[in-house]
Amino acid sequence: MIIKNKNEIVNDILFWMEQKRWLIIISILGIIMFYLPCPENISIIGYRTIILVLLVVLLIITEPIPLPALALLIAILQVTFNIATPTEVARTFMNDSVFFIMGSLMMAVAIVQQGLDNRLALGLIRITGNSVKNIVLGFTLLSALLSSFIGEHTVVALMLPVGLSIIRNCNQQHSIKNLTALILFSIGYGATVGSIGTPSGGARNALMLEYWKTISNGNISISYLQWMILAYPMVIIGMLGTALLLPITFKPEIKQLDTSIRKLKIQVAHKGSIKGSDLMTIIIFVFIFLCWIFLHERYGLGIIAISGAFLYMVFGLIEWKDLNKHTNWGVILLFAAAISLGVQMKNTGAAFWIGNIIISNFSNLINENTILPYIVNILLTTFFSNIMSSSATVAVLGPITLNMGGDVLYMGMTTAIASAFGYFSVVAAPACMIIYSSGLIKISDFIRAGWRMGIMSISTLLLIYKFYWPLVINLINY
Amino acid sequence: MKFLIAIKDKNNESKDVLDIACRIAEGFSADFTICYVGKKSQAILETDLALTRQSLADWNIYHPGLEVLEWAFCYLKERGFAKNIDFSIENLIEHNGRVRMALPKEKNYQINLVLREGELLSELNQELKRGNFDIIILGSPNSSRMTHKLAQFLDTSILFVKNYNINYKYKILLGVDDSKATKRAIIFSTKISKQFLAEIKNVTVSKTTYIGKDYRNAHNWATKYFKRMKVPFTSKLLGGDPVDEFIQEAGNDHIIILGKSKGNELIKFFRGSKPIQTAQKANCPVLLVN
Repeated sequence: MIIKNKNEIVNDILFWMEQKRWLIIISILGIIMFYLPCPENISIIGYRTIILVLLVVLLIITEPIPLPALALLIAILQVTFNIATPTEVARTFMNDSVFFIMGSLMMAVAIVQQGLDNRLALGLIRITGNSVKNIVLGFTLLSALLSSFIGEHTVVALMLPVGLSIIRNCNQQHSIKNLTALILFSIGYGATVGSIGTPSGGARNALMLEYWKTISNGNISISYLQWMILAYPMVIIGMLGTALLLPITFKPEIKQLDTSIRKLKIQVAHKGSIKGSDLMTIIIFVFIFLCWIFLHERYGLGIIAISGAFLYMVFGLIEWKDLNKHTNWGVILLFAAAISLGVQMKNTGAAFWIGNIIISNFSNLINENTILPYIVNILLTTFFSNIMSSSATVAVLGPITLNMGGDVLYMGMTTAIASAFGYFSVVAAPACMIIYSSGLIKISDFIRAGWRMGIMSISTLLLIYKFYWPLVINLINY
Repeated sequence: MKFLIAIKDKNNESKDVLDIACRIAEGFSADFTICYVGKKSQAILETDLALTRQSLADWNIYHPGLEVLEWAFCYLKERGFAKNIDFSIENLIEHNGRVRMALPKEKNYQINLVLREGELLSELNQELKRGNFDIIILGSPNSSRMTHKLAQFLDTSILFVKNYNINYKYKILLGVDDSKATKRAIIFSTKISKQFLAEIKNVTVSKTTYIGKDYRNAHNWATKYFKRMKVPFTSKLLGGDPVDEFIQEAGNDHIIILGKSKGNELIKFFRGSKPIQTAQKANCPVLLVN
């Protein structure tokens, strides 16, 4: 055994401190806040819940510890801070929304494993032909429509190989930076825009469903179809807007992709015709989708989602070891912990207290202008989703925005939708991170395209809140 | 000897790093590992990204880091290394997020290609522990704080390739003092001098006008060693701030070689050391010998 000298031990400690500096700083901050006097109008456990929320936000942003460890920390501190009893914490960790997230993620893995990307590629180029304009429109629409049902990361996993193959097959005698960015962003932004369309579009939507139930004591319970009625116009306008704005931002160097598409057709042809397993994958998903619409009240979205994962395994479309390997169990645990924390934020009055503080600054203006809480909500959510991630933003901010005044249903919907406005940064959405990981686009490209997308999305959402939702709210009869 | 060469992209700086590494490696018949350290995605998105990578691999589209490694490998081939081996994606081995390409051994040396994702310091430290490297060669870090951290926490010799110009005829500026690593720095600089056919400027700087006995002895030992090894050199004993003097003497056409300070790590962490400050401020490549 090598015995280290004193200097080496000091160096090892310093190295650990350097690596874990954020954990140390956040811990010190937590301890200081814990011993500070409790603010007025909030209970001591409410105040401790706020400390816990703050620590969680900082730990998500700085990532000094793994996510599953953070999820465990949430449970530990809820009990240590006397926020809830161990039994209550355990109970709030598991519910139908967690099953829904888990089932959806598992189904996504099964779908990607089937290699449906070939079918999509073929279908896409048959419709769009060789024109860049049509291809971009095709990528955006297909990504948006698919991601509203099967989640944005699944869609990008399916579409990105097609997009990158087209880029690679281009005759690269000239620089095609703009064309590259155009194709990648049409997939990335298309998928992000679409992910708000249904509850299965992203884990954040499922989180909001749970928060509605919790905050309203079960009075607000939105079905799969009701969500679609409220959110889908935003998807339609968003995807058309994306297809319109991206070519303005990234003017493609070439207008036709004859050679590239020809090569892609050959590439896809090599992979053979549609197989029985491909067909079965689609049939199971359509079946689950129909169950979500028609049977959710009896069985719950979560149980239906895990039934999907079950069917994929039963029909041999995916092995358990593949599901186990590719499902992000850490994220599922984190969302379970976030929901648990959200419940405590409501129970302890912390969510109401923070919401009240944010909105009290604008109280005079709110009396004159009822749209203001929604504007504050949208801007706050957009800001946080660009520095954390869309799902983490809803997880942390959801209970607060539902207490910021305004209609709880509308506020929740605007939070869930605005969390998809993470166009400016790489970290906001899985789709953005994945297209960035191709190494072909720069962070500055996100700003270049993002500001236009941001303005378009925020103004569309406000118009939808103001004019569309009041029209359909009686229709959906939630 | 074992070299670890860290590159981050296909730009000119990475080319400089490879060029200087090749020139030094030729003299040492060293094994070398080229390591690409890419940015890690947010933990919350990690599995999503892994799923996409798997899907991309089915279309023969690989991690952008592999393209960088392939480019580096081709550069080595151009320079006459790895004549009998080829870059092959089939030979990739993944373990705990570290991807390695298994390549056969050449006559006198072994080339390894490694892909890592994460924070630069942490990843290089892990690679260092795994491979026990004698020297790490990398481009100039983005911030002087990062230079400080790399110099302090990577327990090996480290060469920062800063403002390297392939057309320059580099000389060597060797900073000699009474530190424990000075002797190794002298030996190292002799080898590099022979490799680069470069003259060594043997410089000892005292903070006062008085040159202490230990400094003088070290300086004399270096002089004798260079004479014995028959390398061209000049000697200088100077008074002033060592960091400023080294930088001024070196200009931009020297490779500065200094022994790593073995002083109190805590003081070094907060205030730095002569070698660390020199590496931070110099306008030319700096080698800190462990």
